[in-house]
Amino acid sequence: MRLARLWRARRESRFALALFVLLLAVNVALNPVRFHPASWGTELGLAAPLLAASIASMPALLGGRGGIDVSVGPVMGFVNAILVQGLILGLGITTPFVLVPVALLTGAAIGALNGTLATLLRIQPIVATLGTYLLLTGLTLTILPAPAGSVPPWVQSLAGTWSILPLAFLAACWLALKRLPFHDHLMATGSDDRACYTAGVNVTLVRFLSYVLTGAIAGVAGLLLTALIGSADPTVGPTYTLIAISAVALGGVSLAGGRGGFLAAALGGADIFLLQSALTFFNVSTFILQIAYGGILVLAVTLNALDLRRDRRARLAAA
Amino acid sequence: MPPDAALLRIEDVALRPDAPAHRDALQAGEILGLAGLDGHGQEAFLEVLAGLRRPAQGRIVLAAPDGDGIALAGFRQAVAHGIAYLPRDRRATGLFPSLSVLDNFGIVSFAADRRFGLIDRRRRRRRYEHWRERLSIVAPGPDAPVTSLSGGNQQKLLLARWLARAPRILLLNDPTRGVDQRTRETLYGVFRDLARHEGLGLVVLSTEIEEVVRLCRRVLVFREQHVAAALAGEAMTADAVIAAMFGQG
Repeated sequence: MRLARLWRARRESRFALALFVLLLAVNVALNPVRFHPASWGTELGLAAPLLAASIASMPALLGGRGGIDVSVGPVMGFVNAILVQGLILGLGITTPFVLVPVALLTGAAIGALNGTLATLLRIQPIVATLGTYLLLTGLTLTILPAPAGSVPPWVQSLAGTWSILPLAFLAACWLALKRLPFHDHLMATGSDDRACYTAGVNVTLVRFLSYVLTGAIAGVAGLLLTALIGSADPTVGPTYTLIAISAVALGGVSLAGGRGGFLAAALGGADIFLLQSALTFFNVSTFILQIAYGGILVLAVTLNALDLRRDRRARLAAA
Repeated sequence: MPPDAALLRIEDVALRPDAPAHRDALQAGEILGLAGLDGHGQEAFLEVLAGLRRPAQGRIVLAAPDGDGIALAGFRQAVAHGIAYLPRDRRATGLFPSLSVLDNFGIVSFAADRRFGLIDRRRRRRRYEHWRERLSIVAPGPDAPVTSLSGGNQQKLLLARWLARAPRILLLNDPTRGVDQRTRETLYGVFRDLARHEGLGLVVLSTEIEEVVRLCRRVLVFREQHVAAALAGEAMTADAVIAAMFGQG
């Protein structure tokens, strides 16, 4: 009964869920050892940066009216560089009580910059965050011209034994957030910003905060990336941006705003990850992988558009 | 009545720099009508009252406990001081099509659902049930998409959204537009009840003259961006309103 209701309510994520079940079955059949419960920790650690990057991309999209943050990948790379090159190598700080807040706050600060550009100065979000993308990519390469460094054991364990912790933390934060007025306002803003304005909501502030949230989660994703690669690498981060956006679109987060959430974004990320791991089992080249991502993205966006059209028809019929 | 018993004072407001100014006050328990041919300023005037638009001259003053009143500066401030504005085009500027009935209801009164800072959905559901009954909203259920409601029920839901905030002033922009006759009667009953028993001040803009005459105690008829006539009591007949709308008499 509850499940049936959940299935109905999450209409937009059905495709992603079906794909998830299918891909998981394929993966388990292909490679039972890798997907044995004993290696779930490692497997989740491999998937974690992509999952977190997808979740990070979601809040900015939810705000609607072209809200998007393409700088998620570079934020991850930048956080990776700051943590390893700046704090661990430079200052010799390895305690989680410094590294975790630094990752979160760095991300949130960049999110605030994006939010200022996109909502207060009203620069088109894709242009504004593309600017941040380039800025951060350059800055990361300046701090860290070549891969370097290593990480303390507790960071490594986030990509292995304890890989569930950061994701559970994000999930708990989202559950709490869902019960704040902010969540309602964000969904309403994405659904129809003019209606939201005439409901007395501070639309600009809500959108601004969605960028800050995106940045903060991207900071966590940066920490997870650091855990996975166990060092600092200036080139890995930016590659996450486009995959994360395809993942959320696939998961059913509407690029027009107002629809989707944590589960949708995480499902989309998991789909992409499983697809990747199934294809690499067959030793296909990275070019084929790219084609697969592209195909999936086009498919997802088409399904989303069809859904929107059906929704609009329903609206007209109801009026 | 002394001027400080008014909920809202209209102090020499003009919609255009060259138009004559209007001075008025909205009393508690009063239903004030706005009429006029489409585009003659009544809608702009209602938006001025809501703080959505700045008048060319004059100001709107909201009554405050200290007696001095607060000059209206913007829409959010108006909302914070107990003004509720029901827009005309509920599909374009009212409802959130991708959200549920319950979320559409709760968006402006979330403060009442808060417990330790978090939204308590059960409390919201209870509040919704209260208003659903009072306005006799017909809906499949609180979690149904808002698009599954009929036009009249969407309108009642929008009204419920604002009434749940317990406003002192209700500004209604053509509230019965595209609404069936039964719903219309329900709405009239609710409006009268709110004015008479709860002391709200209502401003109703209507494109239907019959509605204005039936519902309101007073009506301001607009012509060419100013108040051409203020009618009340015996003088407020459909014919008189029409004559004023066309600039006769």
